[in-house]
Amino acid sequence: MNVEHRPAVPTNVLIVGVGGQGVIMVSKVLASLCQQAGLEVKQSEVHGMAKRGGSVFSHVRFGETVLSPMIAHGEADIMVALEWAEGLRWLDYLKRDGGTFIADTQQIVPPVSFRNRRRGARSGYAPATPAEVIDLVGNGFALDATRMAAGLGNERVANTVLLGALSTALPFPREGWLGVLDGLVPPKTTEVNRRAFDAGREWVQNFDRPAEQAAAAVAVPVSGDGLDHRLEITEAWCKGCDICVKMCPERCLTLNARHIVELTDPAACTACRLCEWLCPDFAIRVLTASAPAPALAK
Amino acid sequence: MDTASANDFDIRDYLRVELLPHFMCPGCGHGIALRALLWAVHDLKLAKDRLAIVSGIGCSGRVGAYIDANTFHVTHGRPLAFATGLALARPDLEVIVITGDGDCLAIGGNHLIHACRRNLHLTCLMFNNEIYGMTGGQVSPTTADDRLTTTTPYGNAEPSFDACALAAAAGASFVGRGMTLQTVALKNLIRDAISHRGFSFVEVISDCTEIFGRKNDLGSSPEMILRQKGSMKPDTYGNVVDRPFRPNAVQTGVLARNDRPEYGDAYRAAVLGAAGAAVAG
Repeated sequence: MNVEHRPAVPTNVLIVGVGGQGVIMVSKVLASLCQQAGLEVKQSEVHGMAKRGGSVFSHVRFGETVLSPMIAHGEADIMVALEWAEGLRWLDYLKRDGGTFIADTQQIVPPVSFRNRRRGARSGYAPATPAEVIDLVGNGFALDATRMAAGLGNERVANTVLLGALSTALPFPREGWLGVLDGLVPPKTTEVNRRAFDAGREWVQNFDRPAEQAAAAVAVPVSGDGLDHRLEITEAWCKGCDICVKMCPERCLTLNARHIVELTDPAACTACRLCEWLCPDFAIRVLTASAPAPALAK
Repeated sequence: MDTASANDFDIRDYLRVELLPHFMCPGCGHGIALRALLWAVHDLKLAKDRLAIVSGIGCSGRVGAYIDANTFHVTHGRPLAFATGLALARPDLEVIVITGDGDCLAIGGNHLIHACRRNLHLTCLMFNNEIYGMTGGQVSPTTADDRLTTTTPYGNAEPSFDACALAAAAGASFVGRGMTLQTVALKNLIRDAISHRGFSFVEVISDCTEIFGRKNDLGSSPEMILRQKGSMKPDTYGNVVDRPFRPNAVQTGVLARNDRPEYGDAYRAAVLGAAGAAVAG
């Protein structure tokens, strides 16, 4: 494969996401492709904190000669974010003018972003909408790659969708990308990865709509009072075994004088359902707004 | 976690509510195990008419009576034998056996190993509370070493059974273990066991708070259920996980699984196939 485009200054691509999404896979495809094209490539990554859900990033630099493996602040030509908040976290690495920002609007909300465990509590997760961010960077693409991948039959190829989007910003031919991709993914998933790659490419090529709204399915719905649930206790069935009282993480249940369970602190209840699941006597039922009406009457 | 399934599952749709409260003692794990079973049935969208519950004698045997489905309460140790006949005659039913450690391993031990060997499409749930609770607390085949029971007032000297290893060795094609403390995981395990084509054996770790707990000074109901997390006596649950901060943690989940031929199909092909398929209905 030959590429005429041989810039003296290296091209910087920063790929970020969380553990398990395939950040390293995307950077591997890019690095191998550049290597095949006869360019010098340096790649460095941090995945030590990754486990599943931790922050992961990978720097890829390629060109005629590459000296440092790291991208400095404000020097990334292209940034690919596999997770929305990770994209925002690394945004200051992107070139102020002319940097390309490609992001999945998928939100993976970490539990630590909740200050309050009540159901419906507001989280500290990135509040900026994709439209606002895309306005800010100028050359940005925010696509719901995860949902696109799910539509193709495998949510895990979301990274390949973004790889497809990335491929439009670099001067390598489509066949070159697919050749490297085929060699790196498990043989069983070659087909779905190829389709995901093309889906990402097409999305960018047809891009003329405003940035899609952030994936509607944010982990926890944000509502005002948070009291959209209640406990239904069938007193006649409770034997006072104390399991729910001791197991409740919020300590909002107690046994009353008759040794029957009582919800004494409704405001603390998060509707986690632990009491319902662990009650050997079926005496507790957690009713949330979406649950059907109680069926005891029959 | 499957929030939607938790939301629309109301256990009372599957219970004979007029019989409640049930007869079990405060804190008894069997109620939680029953919830997990019915939740799994709900997840699988099995019609109650298609469900056949066969239970034996003992505390576990009484559990079946509260289920609003086709239920059979049969003689001691024989639920697997009854269920074998039922599943062969009515392959359209989903047959689930509820049995206890004594019912399944002592009185019905012979039926268990042969049911495992045949690999007929059945689900066998063994509620293991390490004791014969209903008859007053005698030693059972799974009572751990040194435990006090009515019949072992100086501590149990017999080695106990690891029921899952027994079932796997006898040929059960799906073997799993769950604990009442982890209701959702237990529900998922039972759901997989029911969907598995072949003989599925699930050991449910349950607590006998009133008799076993009292005799052995294991504390209150919440203390007993929490003990499932890491301080069970290992010899009853052969596969003890050696983890640095969790001594005596019991291995749960699917322990053995294969896809060997199911007996009902093989039987119908070999016996009824020759006589003509019309008999099968």
